[in-house]
Amino acid sequence: MSEALGRVVATERRPNTPHEFHFWTAIDSPVGIGTIVRVDGAHPIDGRIPHIYGIVVEGFSYTDLQSPMHDVMGHDGSPTAAGFAATERAEIRLYTAAVLRQIPEEPLQPVPMGQVFLADEADVQVALRMDGYLREGANTGIPVGVYRAGGTDAVIYLDADFLLGPEAAHLNITGVSGLATKTSAVEWLLASLFKHFPDDKGSIAAVCFNVKGPDLCYLDQPGKIEESDEVLYEKLGVEPKPFESVRYFAPYNAKGLALNTFRNNEALLDNVTPLTWGLREVLQFAEVLLNKDDVDAKADALIDFITQNVVDKEFPSDGTLSKNHRVQSFADLDAWFKDVLQGMERKDGESWRTHHVATIRKVRNRLSNISTRCAGLVTDSGHVSDLPFGSFEDRTVYVVDVANLEEDAQDLIFARIVSKLREHLERRDLGVKHLVVFVDELNKYAPGDGPDTYVRKMLLDIAERGRYLGLVLFGAQQFRSQVHRRVVGNSGTGLFGRMDPDELSTPGYAVLSPATRTKLATLEKGQLMIRHPHFTQPIFVRFPRPSVMQGREGSERYPQASEVSLEAAILRALRPLDSTITLPWVQDITALYTEEEVIRARNATLLARPDNVKAYFMSQFRRALPAQAAPRPMAGSIKSAPENDPYGF
Amino acid sequence: MLVSNSSPDAASRAALRSLMEQLPGMSAVEGGGYLEPVASNDPPVLRSAQIAEGSTLRAIRIPTLSRPASSEFEAFLDGSQKVQVVGHRYGMPIVFGTASAVVRVRVNRRMITWGHQPPRVERRIFVPLRYLPELADWRASSLGVEGAQWQIIDTSTADRNGDYPSQHPAVLIERAIRAVDVERETLEDLLAEAWCARGDGSLYIDGGISRNARVASSTCAVGVIKSHRTLYVEGDALRIVLGLEKGERSSVFRVSPRSRSSVMSWYLRLRDAKGRDAMWGLVRVEIAECKYQLERADEISRWVLAETTPLSLPDGRWDKMAYGVRDCEEFLRAIS
Repeated sequence: MSEALGRVVATERRPNTPHEFHFWTAIDSPVGIGTIVRVDGAHPIDGRIPHIYGIVVEGFSYTDLQSPMHDVMGHDGSPTAAGFAATERAEIRLYTAAVLRQIPEEPLQPVPMGQVFLADEADVQVALRMDGYLREGANTGIPVGVYRAGGTDAVIYLDADFLLGPEAAHLNITGVSGLATKTSAVEWLLASLFKHFPDDKGSIAAVCFNVKGPDLCYLDQPGKIEESDEVLYEKLGVEPKPFESVRYFAPYNAKGLALNTFRNNEALLDNVTPLTWGLREVLQFAEVLLNKDDVDAKADALIDFITQNVVDKEFPSDGTLSKNHRVQSFADLDAWFKDVLQGMERKDGESWRTHHVATIRKVRNRLSNISTRCAGLVTDSGHVSDLPFGSFEDRTVYVVDVANLEEDAQDLIFARIVSKLREHLERRDLGVKHLVVFVDELNKYAPGDGPDTYVRKMLLDIAERGRYLGLVLFGAQQFRSQVHRRVVGNSGTGLFGRMDPDELSTPGYAVLSPATRTKLATLEKGQLMIRHPHFTQPIFVRFPRPSVMQGREGSERYPQASEVSLEAAILRALRPLDSTITLPWVQDITALYTEEEVIRARNATLLARPDNVKAYFMSQFRRALPAQAAPRPMAGSIKSAPENDPYGF
Repeated sequence: MLVSNSSPDAASRAALRSLMEQLPGMSAVEGGGYLEPVASNDPPVLRSAQIAEGSTLRAIRIPTLSRPASSEFEAFLDGSQKVQVVGHRYGMPIVFGTASAVVRVRVNRRMITWGHQPPRVERRIFVPLRYLPELADWRASSLGVEGAQWQIIDTSTADRNGDYPSQHPAVLIERAIRAVDVERETLEDLLAEAWCARGDGSLYIDGGISRNARVASSTCAVGVIKSHRTLYVEGDALRIVLGLEKGERSSVFRVSPRSRSSVMSWYLRLRDAKGRDAMWGLVRVEIAECKYQLERADEISRWVLAETTPLSLPDGRWDKMAYGVRDCEEFLRAIS
């Protein structure tokens, strides 16, 4: 048994309670804020010696000095003289610990006097009730980090049932920006989750929305880790290597030539899939892009009419419309609108099928506007390239890069993808049983105040119902206090990196002791405070640096491609599919066609990913090839002049 | 020496409960505080002493006294006593007394308890058995309560003249106090002897060293006396001693009390007494007779002066008390 490092003390003015106790230690003991200790009671209760586990939440130090003035007097007012005193004053290190667990758990009594020991790894498991889910038969522990104190290195596990459901779910990460805490922690945790998620619980994948910077853009590239990280990886049972299966999705830029992502370097384009949607995909989420002023009851009714009766339907001509319409793209829709409005003008009518002309003009304006506002994502042509809903693969990360997009486009992407994920999970046909959705900047997407946006409603829905579907939200933000209470409140697990002192002064952190708050404000990189349903108090852990390339390094090694010509953009897009494609070949093929036609051909090829890329790409132009010049009529043969008729008559 | 005035400790309360169980007729004294030691019946006196440094007593500035003043004291020794009337039976006082002593060693500028001799704590229950005949079988027995052993002491035994004390409760209480006082001195001497026998270095003893011959002759022991009921100077010498300035000592003189060992001694002013009474910061140092007593007096004076920081406040005797002695007292307060 290890040597005692302290003794429990209690006075009338500062008594121990069932949830808190005090102890003193030697001056040089390794105890600090966050250290887990074990108290061995002296007297048995019901024949059992009680063991109490606690975590240090506050520390005090003082001497027998009654007044600072006495010290001044004692050293004649000279601070330097204090160092010459033959004896140092008696000094105490007094700590307050919050009880993590008492054994036996009943009767729950105030913590008895006794010796205090540093908790070893087995103690930590008991103290945090991890023994319940690390035992044979349960085995749902997901390593999240290493608790380290006084020579004790103990792996801290989260319970998968409480991280991904069904018991509780969701994870929320808070921390100041720029200290590689939030993104790094998620990258590490996903690696651990993919490694340790029990096979009997089914498959798991993750969809990460990269909302800013390039941090999530190199998850498949190896990163630099230090020796100390390797030790942590070994302890935590995870191999220090990048994710084996990562797929990236990003819309095109407004011109449609290059993908609008930090990861558009040619060397990395092989697993970046364009994200493009047409009218059908967008219309059902029109609410995301249209504000409440736009979508009044009348406009809403017209949009419903269009969705149900116009899009993807044969819409016959009537007294107003001049021809039959089949609307499959924004271009088709605009033509339909134009026809309706012209028809109304012809008839000098104010309404068509109960829809007033002003409403029709307004809805036309707003809907047509979408393809402009979300250019690169929404195509006029109706061309669709999407996430592989229905065929998600186990242990795969799907990164959707929306970092460079306008807010509208980000909202649309977020709303549609999450809705589709939820639909598929409800139908159990997504391809995986559990899906983690990582969203950073919850301050922005699910604010505690401000308008009730579609995106916030969706996040609330995930937070409240997601765990029953296997849809788990890993959310991150700088200011937890500014995120909607129901989003953070429904997060079973909370991770806290270094915190801003202003944020720590908000009421949500009042439950933490001043010392714990101070520690949170000064955490180093790679340190986290964890709250988890099994832990009755927050625990501090270290986690290894993710073994993937960090954003800064990635953007230096794989610089973003600059603006290129149409031909170069086509070459860059197709070459990952066929390395024999050359720029002259692309120039030859595309020379006669418009930019729009070329881009359409490229999109179709990328979507189809055919075996013969060249042939498929060329085939996209066949219909558009200009009519062959009519063969020149054969000139009649000239009669040969008779030999004896020199004039040919 | 510490005289505690705090409330009864846990051991005393446990012993009292046990005592009341065994003595149904006993009346407990509620809220009885600890008793002060009995003041000596002798009046304060001036007594001449043999000058050992020069022919007349004079004030000597301690040479090379400058910062940083270092001290070579390895340890400090002090004792403590607590006496409390806890009850009475038919008016006869029942007194609890605790005597204790400790040596605290300085390691890396911090005080810890000497490992070779544990702190001594002796607990006594003083009962006038002569006047409580029904308790006659308690004689030479002890009461064990919760790990603490309380020895029963008869306060009504005959003195060396064969006279029994009066039944006056104050007389019986005074006997108990004196007995505890003696017990404390005994414990202090035991520890001092043990220290000197090992010869581990210089020991700062709170009080004189002449009581015990082995201690009085050891070069390890340095006694520092804070009270001056007897001043070993007369006439001009008295003016010189009372006029000592901070950092000055008197000439060394020899103290040879009756029934005690002869030791070398001198007065030393630890703090500036301007605006204070004449005894402010004045201590008397005792050491064993030695060959180079003058150099030794200067050296030890420097050590004692170095022990004036940190201050021993809030103790009222902080002007004369070394911090190491206060540490001993606090330690004894905690354990006894």
